[in-house]
Amino acid sequence: MSKITQCLIAYLVLCLSIGTAFSQGLAPPSNVTAVDTPNDDGSSITIKWDAAPEGSGISGYQILRRIAGSGLEEVGGLLPAGSTTYVDSTIEKGSAYTYIVRAVTETEATVESGETAPTKGTGEWFHMGKIPLFFGMVLFSVAILWNLYDARSGKEIFVRRIPGLEAVDEALGRATEMGRSILYVLGLGPVDNVATIASMTILGQVARRTADYETPLLVPCNDPIVLNVVREMVKTSYLDEGRPDAYNEENIFFLTDSQFAYAAGVDGIMIREKPAAIFLQGQFYAESLIMAETGNSIGAIQIAGTDSEHQLPFFIAACDYTLIGEELYAATAYLSKDPMFLGSLKGQDWGKLVIFAAIVLGVILELSGVNWITTLLQRVR
Amino acid sequence: MKRQVPLALCFLFGIAMILTQFSPHSYSQGVYREVINWSLIINPFALILAVATLIQTHITRIQRRTEHWQYSLVVFVGMAVMVLIGIPFGPRNSYFEWLYNNLQVPMDATMFSLLAFFIASAAYRAFRARTFEATLLLITALIVMMGNVPVGDLIWNSVLSWIPMEDGASKVRQWILDIPNLASRRGIILGVSLGVISQSIRIILGIERSYLGGGGD
Repeated sequence: MSKITQCLIAYLVLCLSIGTAFSQGLAPPSNVTAVDTPNDDGSSITIKWDAAPEGSGISGYQILRRIAGSGLEEVGGLLPAGSTTYVDSTIEKGSAYTYIVRAVTETEATVESGETAPTKGTGEWFHMGKIPLFFGMVLFSVAILWNLYDARSGKEIFVRRIPGLEAVDEALGRATEMGRSILYVLGLGPVDNVATIASMTILGQVARRTADYETPLLVPCNDPIVLNVVREMVKTSYLDEGRPDAYNEENIFFLTDSQFAYAAGVDGIMIREKPAAIFLQGQFYAESLIMAETGNSIGAIQIAGTDSEHQLPFFIAACDYTLIGEELYAATAYLSKDPMFLGSLKGQDWGKLVIFAAIVLGVILELSGVNWITTLLQRVR
Repeated sequence: MKRQVPLALCFLFGIAMILTQFSPHSYSQGVYREVINWSLIINPFALILAVATLIQTHITRIQRRTEHWQYSLVVFVGMAVMVLIGIPFGPRNSYFEWLYNNLQVPMDATMFSLLAFFIASAAYRAFRARTFEATLLLITALIVMMGNVPVGDLIWNSVLSWIPMEDGASKVRQWILDIPNLASRRGIILGVSLGVISQSIRIILGIERSYLGGGGD
């Protein structure tokens, strides 16, 4: 094929593409803007443009960017036809970028927007989208603090009866009468887990009583740091009760950090030692029922407590008493009767009251066709 | 002083870590990542202490010839084999991987599979229709179980054909899971969240001190 024929074919294809583009009314993307993405660490720029009218023939968009003084480069591949936003998260911090949005038709004809003004990504010190959350947290904290310090004045605070905690003395008394040990399982949570900390606090209270009753207290641990904290804690409880001689460090030991090996180990202790009372307090996963059912099979009185809502039905089915969710955190206040702890419980109740009122108000407003409270809550990220 | 320094550090780091959740700036996120890395570094040192207590416990058992003391020997053999292969040759060593995949994984799976039998025994006790609540639980559980198996809808359509609802078992099951079940779960989650915040405030302010290894001053 001669060179003239090749040139003619190329010319015809070019004319056809341009003709198709114009025949479909292909206009360049309009109102293209590039802004620093709000509420991020400065690692992205958001590009926005207006949606193309229906029937414009646009099959997608390409984003082109340029650092001042360099060539254009494409980022993000071909975006779908309906898109109007692209977040470029591959920028270098401190560099200014300009952007062009290129519309592409099914026949691969293209038309480009004008170049945006140079934009830099800058990090924000405060996430503006979290303002409602921040205020909610501050208000709730103030409510708790208010009640904490109000409790110091000596006002009596009513705490509803929690059967699981009232049964602690019964369980310890039973173990003492039977001359058997008490098994305390802290779950699989690490030391920075709030449920583990709550469990350790309950253990401190249980240890005070076992020191008085001289009942052996077995604590198999799953986490090395928890082991060391628990040893110190139980030792302190025994010292506080004036019974350092009754403290046996060997009874608090590391078993394993493997989930099911830990369950097998605890089950083995249950079967061999036959403790009269078993406490399962803390964070649990699939091993919860394996341990609780084994405890049930040996006839031990079992008091469980967890904030893992998926494991609660298992504990309720297999244990004598179960601390449900927040009751685990209330246990310290309930057992110690410390006014400061009791005050924080009252603060929690204020928080629950506010949430309950918001739910009731939200339902009424939604039914009345007013949805500002729903919109406000949806904005909290 | 022994207590005041940890309490002051806890207060400072507690407040700083809360603020990092509201600040997306790279410096703030850098502080967050750094503190998390520090906490990860502490773990291996504590593991040394834990392994020491494990060895101590099992040596005592062997010395005292307590019941089933022979299993303590198995602990030492297992530990020695894994350490002798794992430390010089690394976790990607073929023998190490073989031992892990053919001993530890099947044993873990065996323990996990026991859960099915424990669920059956726990469910039997929980579903015995002795009280109104237990009867309600039994009926709900039956519907959910029926809705979970394909034959459930077939039984519903043939036995309960007089009810004007096709494939009712799966629809009622979904309603139970989406409405009453989810509502009660969310109630528990809300209570837990408030409890966690309250407990965290007590820890940050130094009222809750159990993590220091003792309740008193």
